[in-house]
Amino acid sequence: MAAGGTGGKTYSFKVVLLGEGCVGKTSLVLRYCENKFNDKHITTLQASFLTKKLNITGKRVNLAIWDTAGQERFHALGPIYYRDSNGAILVYDITDEDSFQKVKNWVKELRKMLGNEICLCIVGNKIDLDKDRHVSVEEAESYAESVGAKHYHTSAKLNKGIEELFLDLCKRMMETAQADERLKGNGASQSASSRRGVQIVDDEPQATPAGGCCSSG
Amino acid sequence: MMNQRRGIHLDQSELLCKKGCGFYGNNAWQGFCSKCWREENQREKQKQIQEDWALAEKLQREEEEAYASRQQKPQSQSTITPFSKFEERKTKEKSSKVHTVTKFFTPSTKTPLKKDSVFDAQSSPSPSSSAGRHSSVDTDHATREFIDFLKPLKSGREIFKQCRAFTESMVYKRDMAADELSECVQDFYQNLSERLQTQFKGSSDHVESVMDEVEKYMMTRLYKEVFCPETTDDEKKDLAIQKRIRALHWVTIEMLCVPVDEEIPEVSDSVVKAITDVIEMDSKRVPKEKLACITRCSKHIFNAIKVSKKEAASADDFLPTLIYIVLKANPPRLQSNIQYITRFCNPSRLMTGEDGYYFTNLCCAVAFIEKLDGQSLNMSSEEFELYMSGQASPNWPQASGASSCSPGSAALSQVHKRLDLLTGLGERQERVMDQARQLESDLIDWTDEVEQKVQSVLESFPAETKNPTETTTEGTSAASSAIDADNIENELLPPPLQPQVFAG
Repeated sequence: MAAGGTGGKTYSFKVVLLGEGCVGKTSLVLRYCENKFNDKHITTLQASFLTKKLNITGKRVNLAIWDTAGQERFHALGPIYYRDSNGAILVYDITDEDSFQKVKNWVKELRKMLGNEICLCIVGNKIDLDKDRHVSVEEAESYAESVGAKHYHTSAKLNKGIEELFLDLCKRMMETAQADERLKGNGASQSASSRRGVQIVDDEPQATPAGGCCSSG
Repeated sequence: MMNQRRGIHLDQSELLCKKGCGFYGNNAWQGFCSKCWREENQREKQKQIQEDWALAEKLQREEEEAYASRQQKPQSQSTITPFSKFEERKTKEKSSKVHTVTKFFTPSTKTPLKKDSVFDAQSSPSPSSSAGRHSSVDTDHATREFIDFLKPLKSGREIFKQCRAFTESMVYKRDMAADELSECVQDFYQNLSERLQTQFKGSSDHVESVMDEVEKYMMTRLYKEVFCPETTDDEKKDLAIQKRIRALHWVTIEMLCVPVDEEIPEVSDSVVKAITDVIEMDSKRVPKEKLACITRCSKHIFNAIKVSKKEAASADDFLPTLIYIVLKANPPRLQSNIQYITRFCNPSRLMTGEDGYYFTNLCCAVAFIEKLDGQSLNMSSEEFELYMSGQASPNWPQASGASSCSPGSAALSQVHKRLDLLTGLGERQERVMDQARQLESDLIDWTDEVEQKVQSVLESFPAETKNPTETTTEGTSAASSAIDADNIENELLPPPLQPQVFAG
């Protein structure tokens, strides 16, 4: 189960990366896991599923970072990706107002589907392009606070703020997991069997234009 | 001598049937009459059959004894009938099975002979029902592997007992709803892994490897019962998605924005391999192996993307490519497989592992294909409808505009080109046939014409031939003179030489 190890030995967390295409989700994880940026010699075959092993205050943490397809047409598939995740990193491009709007949509959706169990991080990427900033720092930070998320500024290009972001997220996820454990310890030792399994569930009808598909010939 | 004489002299009684039925006997029938001979013969045959049976039974008993002695459980050589003994053996086997396994796992196991006996004990549930034996080769194999794996473990015996008991109990639950079955299996996984966790003092790698084997053993045995069970509509869903994918055959690589260039041989090779792997998933039994197929497929996709784009693939590239692969492959029983993995796979792998990520992507691809509409392919819904109904195909105009031929539909456009060629050839064939027919009628006309001409010539000929015959009858000299007269060149000839007189 994703909610980490029993007895506080090894935690394994699932973190999803959400955000519009071209905001730098992939660069962010590649920088974090491989410390590479726009490198022609990237050894990994792919940058969509990456893992990182951490040791935080003597506790081992296995982080699995799930990249998601950011294109608008795949938006409806979000629930399949973020089901059972412990944390979500919502990335926007500080030079792109639209991408921030997308993040807001994601936050709303995640809170609705997963409640407060998930740790949210809102990340303004590309701070190296601060002169072209279109999303103000105040706006972003106050929004993050209002939805119970934390806000970070990063630059994958300059390798700024990324380490902090993930470390912070891990700590928060550990706290949540520990609180969860305590709760479970008090109550019946029912295992979290209800939360397993990936199932394809038709979510609410996604603004599909009338007379669309489904009448397959 | 005496015999001979006796042979000659035959008593009436000696001629009669040996049985004394009053009819005459025959030497060929060993002195019986035909009727008695038939009876006797039948009895003989019956006896033979019975003897064969007895022999077979004896052999079987011997085998059983050997088997029993191998188990070091000498059986009483009582005078029970073969069948009841067989029954007894069956029950004994059941009780001794656990026993031998127990023995097997105790540290005192020394001889390899015992190992064999365990295997025999394991494969024995099937021989009792000969029909079941054939289908259980795989499961026996899985059981053996499982035992081999558990051998070095301290608690191996305990694990095996639990798994076996659980698996056997599952078989009787086949009427249960699939979700309940899944719940049962998942609870079992969870309980077992929790117990293992405490046992191995938190060495999660070890627990995981044991759980893998447990899953393999259990699911190999339960596969038939729980894959695409009748209580669900999995099969219906399979057919629906299959039909849907078939209807979407016209979707091209450009419409999905797949960053893969199939013109590059390595890329197209990877694409083919990915398609093969995702199709292969259906042939595997264990959820983990099915997942491994998806993972292999994904790795090939990543390779294709990396070669095409010269950079590491992100999810933005991966998902469209996977959708494309699924559309091309149309994997058999796709929904059943997804449901089966979801229900019976070890949850920890599905949630956080790499396999889980690819599986989730496959689920996404399927969900996308199910909901696919014009908008998601960047086209109007009218256009989409037109393609779906088969009234238009995006490939045809592309094939005719050969210059901008896409790599994705390269094969398709090639097919279309070939088709065009074929229709062209057909037309030419038609033309050739037409001309051949023309030629034929021309020939017929020509022969007719020739015949007519000949006829007309023949009609006019008798009048001409009459004259010469008349002239010849009048006189050959006239004819010869006439021949000479015809010879106009004669006039051009110099005058005949005259003899000259020389004075002298």
